Amino acid sequence: MAQNSFPGTNPFLDTSAKEKNPNIQKISEEEEFEVTSPTDVTFKQANTGGSAIFGGSAFAEGSSPAGTGAGASLFGRSPFDSGPRGGAEGGDNEQPAALPTGSAHHGFPNNYALGRRTSVSAESLNPTSAGSDSWTPPHHPKTEDQLARLKTAVSNNFLFSHLDDDQFKTVLDALVEKPIPAKDIKVISQGDAGDYFYIVEKGHFDIYIHPSGSVQPGPDGLGNKVSSTGPGGSFGELALMYNAPRAATVISTDAKSTLWALDRITFRRILMDSAFQRRRMYEAFLEEVPLLSSLKPYERAKIADALEPIKYPAGATIITEGDPGDAFYLLEAGEAEAFKNGVSVKNYSRGDYFGELALLDDKPRAASIITKTDVKVARLGRDGFKRLLGPVEDIMRRTEYQLDAAQTPVSK
Amino acid sequence: MPSLGGLLKKRRTKDSQTLASELPAPSENHSQVPDSHDSHDSSEGASMQPAGSSQASPQQPNNAASINNLINNPANASQGHSSGHSPNASQAQGQQAQQPPQQQQQQPRQERTTKGKYSQEDFLLQRTLGTGSFGRVHLVQSKHNHRFYAMKVLKKAQVVKMKQIEHTNDERRMLNRVRHPFLVTLWGTWQDSRNLYMVMDFVEGGELFSLLRKSQRFPNPVAKFYAAEVTLALEYLHSHQIIYRDLKPENLLLDRHGHLKITDFGFAKDVPDITWTLCGTPDYLAPEVVSSKGYNKSVDWWSLGILIFEMLCGFTPFWDSGSPVKIYENILRGKVKYPPYLHDDAVDLLSQLITADLTKRLGNLHGGPEDVKNHAWFAEVTWDRLARKDIDAPYIPPIRGGQGDASQYDKYPEETEHYGIDGEDAYGHLFPDF
Repeated sequence: MAQNSFPGTNPFLDTSAKEKNPNIQKISEEEEFEVTSPTDVTFKQANTGGSAIFGGSAFAEGSSPAGTGAGASLFGRSPFDSGPRGGAEGGDNEQPAALPTGSAHHGFPNNYALGRRTSVSAESLNPTSAGSDSWTPPHHPKTEDQLARLKTAVSNNFLFSHLDDDQFKTVLDALVEKPIPAKDIKVISQGDAGDYFYIVEKGHFDIYIHPSGSVQPGPDGLGNKVSSTGPGGSFGELALMYNAPRAATVISTDAKSTLWALDRITFRRILMDSAFQRRRMYEAFLEEVPLLSSLKPYERAKIADALEPIKYPAGATIITEGDPGDAFYLLEAGEAEAFKNGVSVKNYSRGDYFGELALLDDKPRAASIITKTDVKVARLGRDGFKRLLGPVEDIMRRTEYQLDAAQTPVSK
Repeated sequence: MPSLGGLLKKRRTKDSQTLASELPAPSENHSQVPDSHDSHDSSEGASMQPAGSSQASPQQPNNAASINNLINNPANASQGHSSGHSPNASQAQGQQAQQPPQQQQQQPRQERTTKGKYSQEDFLLQRTLGTGSFGRVHLVQSKHNHRFYAMKVLKKAQVVKMKQIEHTNDERRMLNRVRHPFLVTLWGTWQDSRNLYMVMDFVEGGELFSLLRKSQRFPNPVAKFYAAEVTLALEYLHSHQIIYRDLKPENLLLDRHGHLKITDFGFAKDVPDITWTLCGTPDYLAPEVVSSKGYNKSVDWWSLGILIFEMLCGFTPFWDSGSPVKIYENILRGKVKYPPYLHDDAVDLLSQLITADLTKRLGNLHGGPEDVKNHAWFAEVTWDRLARKDIDAPYIPPIRGGQGDASQYDKYPEETEHYGIDGEDAYGHLFPDF
């Protein structure tokens, strides 16, 4: 009999014998009826919408007036109605009866796409997979002029603006020249799979969009010309994220043009490999900090995720002696020096860390740290550390406990 | 009605007692379930039931009404007929009584054997419930027990072309590993020369997406209810080191009692620390995904923020004129405009979920998912009751037909392709788990 309840039943289960018993069959139908009957009311509410009886009762039951869209009366019950608090919110509750007048919503975006949204995905990349260590990004030589132009071309692009200098340089190096030898060549076609991003070096291109979403056969198959682009312009950047159908067609208008092209896998590999290396470096650095030696790997990973890279020029002060300490630093690149009362007491280089006592409290800094070269540090504030892992004291206590346990025979 | 309800209640209690005696003790339960699942005799049905619906545990009476009072909804109590004998209450108790989340978390790698479990011959094909980039989902009926299931069909050639082999194998593996009241259950998989097949629960209430679009936006308590159930599901997944990566109303189904089930594990993956692949749905992507920095489970908490925002407002915070590039620019800029009608607590929670700063994003911090659950916006939520589906849903899908009633799903044009065709199988070796 237990098999008769519907959800979560093994489809392979043969209950046919039991279902010959009319009694049981009936029960399962009645169950459904039992389930449905309360909904009949809500269903009517949904359909009657503005009916004073149902619409009103929906509110009388205490469903929150906060979100009185036209469909609010769908909800017969509000398990988390907050009562008086709910009544305090929003201005809509002034006229609860006037709800289904349509879409009287504030701040609703124009032309908001109400359809189902498609998931997107790049190909799976994994830095630790075999062979990835031997991968080196392609390097296509460019003149200083070319590099400067490319830099300008992509500096405002969201995919490039957050890259660090090394990543940016590697990406620019990887751009490959693509000559377009004639007029009327379709560089990309609307609706096609997209794998490349392009920057215009020379020549001009027209951009067409067909309302159907892809190029159609026939003379007007390209759709409408929406704009054009020339040297310094770029198109197809979405292809650097995932394989999305091209949103437009781009056609050459000059007899001879030149583009720079970059494919998604190369782009993503460069970003991933550099992020992965940096991360490995952070984790290795963190392992060296005695204060944090008892961190579990996932905790170290959390810290590594949250470290914030900062750059300083030579001669800059990272920490000032006497200031209250609030952050901890890892030195990622360059050199720095610690001064106490103006006297140099220590040199720091790649892999060193300083300011870790600030994770404990805001006691004044015991020394100043001044950069000797251009320096890159990774910073983590005490507050952020605490939010992620709890108080450092607890983590230190963990170490003491472990040490005690290891050293004291009694504790065994 | 009352007498009918009383009758049902009695019978159900009897069922559950019988069942409970057939079942191994809860603590042994977990090791037994997957094993027994493999055998094809009918006795397995009983031992499978812990994940099913009927075993209302005898020590937990049908007390939904009093619970409703507890979560301070007096209006609800006056509507007693809707809750007093509601089968969903007993179902919910049964479901969770056997498998409290705590216990589930202790057996993370428990996997059912579901490979090559069925074939096309076992099911009658019915209408399409949804379509996707690689195939479609059909309503099917088991020829064995005549019950209804959802069969997801993926075209192998398309999966390969879209370079989603790994994700597809992960989908199957992750789905096979999880068991939770708010996650859809995978019953079995197989493949033929062209397609991969996954048979899952048919969840009758349709997509939360449809309800949301119909409603434009949800009242605060309604959004809270759904958000809370999603939070529990995320907590469960993350405790198993599984990242979900595609939270959105389209992937949330309503069961016939109005509770959520998360479906589509297309991007779910075992991620103990960090992962790199850009995937998800544009409106819901976290900034660290957009900027290809490497990311972890905290992206799901970001997406929860977007989901709550969309439920409360009817649109997503970074949407911009339909251009994905503009959405990504907005995500990286990180500015959210909270409409004035949002409750202060909601805004506070959202601003702590939709934040690029990983040292501030709730769910990713020292307190873990508890930080989310303890937030003021969720103050009315009794989490353990919710986990047992012991709280009545705010909306009950109007399912009037029997178990195979698919009226809550949108209609899609049907395809005429025949399944189960013999032929050359160029890609079968890429999907060894199916």
